[in-house]
Amino acid sequence: MSEGVVLSLNDLVIGYDEPLSEPISLEVKPGEIIAILGPSGIGKTTLIRTIAGLVRPLQGDFDLHVKRRGGLGYIPQRLGLVRHATVAHNVSLGARMNVPWSRTMFQERNERTQEAIRTLGIEEKAGEPVRRLSGGQQRRVATARTLAQRPELMLADEFLGELDQHNVDLVLGAVHELVEKGTAVIMVEHHEDNAKDFATRIWEIKNKRFSDMSIEEWELHSSAGEEE
Amino acid sequence: MKYRLFGALFILFFLAWRTLDGLVEGDWGRLEGGLSNLGVFFSESMWPPNWSVLEARSYPVCEQDIEFFCSVGYLGMMETLKIAFVSTVLGFVGAITLSSLAARNLMPLSIALPVRIFLSAVRSLPSLIWAILFVIVIGFGPLSGVLAMTFYTIGYLGKLQYEVFEGMANDPLEAGRAMGLSRPSILLNIVIPENSNHLLSQLMFMFEYNVRHGTVIGIVGAGGIGYYISTYLKFLQYDKVFALLIIIFVVVVVIDLLSLMIRSFVNEEGDVRKPTWLNTIIAAKKRRTE
Repeated sequence: MSEGVVLSLNDLVIGYDEPLSEPISLEVKPGEIIAILGPSGIGKTTLIRTIAGLVRPLQGDFDLHVKRRGGLGYIPQRLGLVRHATVAHNVSLGARMNVPWSRTMFQERNERTQEAIRTLGIEEKAGEPVRRLSGGQQRRVATARTLAQRPELMLADEFLGELDQHNVDLVLGAVHELVEKGTAVIMVEHHEDNAKDFATRIWEIKNKRFSDMSIEEWELHSSAGEEE
Repeated sequence: MKYRLFGALFILFFLAWRTLDGLVEGDWGRLEGGLSNLGVFFSESMWPPNWSVLEARSYPVCEQDIEFFCSVGYLGMMETLKIAFVSTVLGFVGAITLSSLAARNLMPLSIALPVRIFLSAVRSLPSLIWAILFVIVIGFGPLSGVLAMTFYTIGYLGKLQYEVFEGMANDPLEAGRAMGLSRPSILLNIVIPENSNHLLSQLMFMFEYNVRHGTVIGIVGAGGIGYYISTYLKFLQYDKVFALLIIIFVVVVVIDLLSLMIRSFVNEEGDVRKPTWLNTIIAAKKRRTE
């Protein structure tokens, strides 16, 4: 394992029955923000789910160098919220991770929950069941849950969908707070502008080809593709 | 599509009819006069209901200010309600523990399968047989009733619960697992809150079921209002039996209204407005007339 690496993929081939990619080998360091781009149905979600440990790789393996409990934050495409529970309950699920046992444990969990809720601007909804919230508000709740968790690696699958620009800025600002503390972020993103503004690296999957690029390389690659 | 459905229903009805004909061996003569027999039995033996069951018993002497609290109807119903309440609560806790082990999306097959077989075994004995077993083992009285109902509740609710758990959306479970939440934490903080509407509905249904079946198990000596029903049946006092049956019916309706009220706090219907007692009763009436 290399020094300061949170994730390493070793000849990883993703897919369910058929491979969706060529073997992928790379490393992710703390503080990196990676956006996965590519057309629908190409395997972006499968890659995220494989790293989250929810889908078995077809070949190769990957090493997560994070804590077994609480080291990984995950926002699935459908957000993974407990719809019948309150906003505060959902956010507190994240806050219960990564808080060491102590006398003040419950107080600290509560503070983390409240802080995450405030940061995402949903304090008025804290006592409401999630099912009553709009799609955009639910996305903020899912982000608040991860913010309260403070994971070492955050996986997010299209978590900016249904958000207006104001809320995209709010959510990305909150995620940036995590990144500044050393969290690495891997996010599936459909809007290339969001990826360009926020990410530090781009993973692109196209026709089972996987490319790992810096933002500059990706911009050159995209403009070359457009000229063709 | 509509004709196919009617066709399928017709075939099913025809099959059921042929099966019934086979069961009675074509002897439909027994049904002749059945309705008039029922009419005679009802008018001569059951009607009017004998409301003396709501008056104080002659022995033991009533020490309450209000006689009703010493009546067979009140004491029997209260004992049945207590048996049903305790066994529903104990059974619910047991069932939720076992059903979380039996659900395929929460546990591997190697654990889920044996637990499912155990639940099937518990469920295969009706509550009446459980009651007879416990009456033999620990004697007459409400404790036998409680244990019988508890075991039956575990078997019955366990199946309903693991089927609900297996039907829940996968994404909250996946988020919890990826985060590293422990299995008990996933159960307590994700599975139970997410299925609270179904669980409450099943809990209230089971309570109502246990109240109704409390009458049956009482007949074998496991306590409750059923004990009095069986006594009146032995002495052919059908008018008193009818009065007790009306009391059970009223209690079951009240439990149904309570269930409607409680569930409205966790389902989408309750998001519109919280029901008052008045509109709960109106809603129940509307449902019945529809």
